[in-house]
Amino acid sequence: MATVTLNNVVKRFGNFPVVHGANIDIKDGEFVVFVGPSGCGKSTLLRMIAGLEDITDGEIAIGGKLVNDVEPADRGIAMVFQSYALYPHMSVEQNLSFGLRMTGNPKADTDRRVKRAAEILRISELMERRPKKLSGGQRQRVAIGRAIVREPQVFLFDEPLSNLDAELRVQMRVEISRLHKELGTTMIYVTHDQTEAMTLADRIVVLRGGHVEQIGRPLDLYDDPDNQFVAGFVGSPKMNFIKGRIVGRDAHGVVVELAGEEKTRIVQPLTGAAPEAGSKVIVGVRPEHFGIAGEGDADLTLAIDVVEHLGGTSFVYARTANGEDVVVQRDAAKVPDTPEITVSIRKSYLFDEKGLRLR
Amino acid sequence: MRNRNATAYRFLTPYLLIFAIFWVWPIISSFLISFQATRTVPWRFAPGFNWGRLIGDPAFFNALKNTLLILVIQVPVMITLAMVMAVLLNSPLLKARGLYRFAFFAPVVVGEVAYSAVFRLMFSLDFGIINKLLNSIGLPKIDWFSNVTPAMALIMIAVTWRWAGYNAIILLAGMQSIPEDVYEAATLDRVSKLKQFFFITLPLLKPVIVFCAVLSIIGTMQLFTEPFLITERGGPGGGTETLGLLLYRQGFRSLNFGYASAVAYTMAALAIAITLVQLWLTREPK
Repeated sequence: MATVTLNNVVKRFGNFPVVHGANIDIKDGEFVVFVGPSGCGKSTLLRMIAGLEDITDGEIAIGGKLVNDVEPADRGIAMVFQSYALYPHMSVEQNLSFGLRMTGNPKADTDRRVKRAAEILRISELMERRPKKLSGGQRQRVAIGRAIVREPQVFLFDEPLSNLDAELRVQMRVEISRLHKELGTTMIYVTHDQTEAMTLADRIVVLRGGHVEQIGRPLDLYDDPDNQFVAGFVGSPKMNFIKGRIVGRDAHGVVVELAGEEKTRIVQPLTGAAPEAGSKVIVGVRPEHFGIAGEGDADLTLAIDVVEHLGGTSFVYARTANGEDVVVQRDAAKVPDTPEITVSIRKSYLFDEKGLRLR
Repeated sequence: MRNRNATAYRFLTPYLLIFAIFWVWPIISSFLISFQATRTVPWRFAPGFNWGRLIGDPAFFNALKNTLLILVIQVPVMITLAMVMAVLLNSPLLKARGLYRFAFFAPVVVGEVAYSAVFRLMFSLDFGIINKLLNSIGLPKIDWFSNVTPAMALIMIAVTWRWAGYNAIILLAGMQSIPEDVYEAATLDRVSKLKQFFFITLPLLKPVIVFCAVLSIIGTMQLFTEPFLITERGGPGGGTETLGLLLYRQGFRSLNFGYASAVAYTMAALAIAITLVQLWLTREPK
């Protein structure tokens, strides 16, 4: 087990910057998820920690020891690849033991570690099979098993579930969570799937375009995002963004008028400096923060496009008078059978024109 | 559906006809000819005539011995060399990879007569560059064309030069199809580059190596150009005569088609037998 510290880590491919000065402190035994859209630099960051990718600038320390110039094999890490990267010509048992056998680890110890990994992952009955005779989920277990036998200080997972079908993904997510509890080892996990990030992580690092946008516990990111990107990325369906304008200030905060809805004004408490009246802002509302009419500051009438009934809950896809798309979460029983729906805004977030949160 | 098949076969008919006349029939015909005495007019059916001669013909056994000797020495050397070339070509440190790839492949494209003429010049006793080089490092000159052992070595060197690059390109394609992350996983498993080559690259490349070996075996069993052009029709004194050359000599110099057909069938049978043994030896474990 070990801490992992990234200090102003920069990566450039030629002149093209991929990671711009990442600062991340990962605690001993913590499960941290790097999440972000494709090309945000999350996998590159992970590969730099593994040592498979050189660092252009900055420092990476594992267990307090600077590892910039340490070979990947000597960093005390084990990695699970997106494609599993199993050795196709070896049986499961050989896949698990290969690294240990090649480095001259005593046979008894190798056997013990392989047996333990197989038991933890419940793959003992598959030991003689070749990877091509395994299902996707079983291959993933073997890949994780190969990491376990190394008894690493840090586990690195590079989008390990993205090749699995939806049902298996949920199942493996639970398994990985269980594994973390059982082993208590530091784990760093890369995914583009915010649901995986929310369900697995102790803390999430949200990345965009090579920048760390925010680091925090899943619910902190959900409830208190630093900017419009994080607000939109975390949560499903994503947060609704409605254009607005500051029209004044009252005892409770700034008064915001929604674009195209002159009568709809909401009051947003702000502790920091408020923008001037007339400034354009963006109001963020999560689908579940739309209440029934009369519950909030103001009511908003929306034209319904489509309703998705998921059983207990329904999602109403609708448009504001200004033509902005909005998703409203409702109890299935409370969705009106009319072309319009009137909602109130119970809770909202305010962002400036650049997308920064106004608090 | 049956109608559509019929139409498809109608379109295929011209090809199938040509295939049957110029491919299938000659194969059957030469088999039948091998059972005929073709030095008499008219030809007559005499099953033991050619096949009987084959069993006791010292020229046949000489050609067989030469062919197998080349096969046993040249093919493994060439495949090993091709593997080394493929590893070098695959190195991320290599600059101008395309140029090397072309250079390695070029010998296959060069005309056989031109390449044979250049080899004869290079290995010439009095003004060949090879003997000049040997002399310059204090070794005696070698008369490559008058002695059997050097002549055989020359044939093997020439064939290796011509086909090693071709096999290297095939092996390179195989190497590049091995996913990079398998090597990355091995690197994280603390497996050295050398062990990665022997325990990952080689086993995963086995089907490609077998493919190259089978092609080379078939090619060597039919070897003709080099002993015909470089060592002048299997010289010295039949010392480099191969089965291909014997077939040519019998069929097209002596016009003994029956015996040539018997030799041809023996070559094909040997190539198949050796290939089957090799496939069996290198088969995938269940």
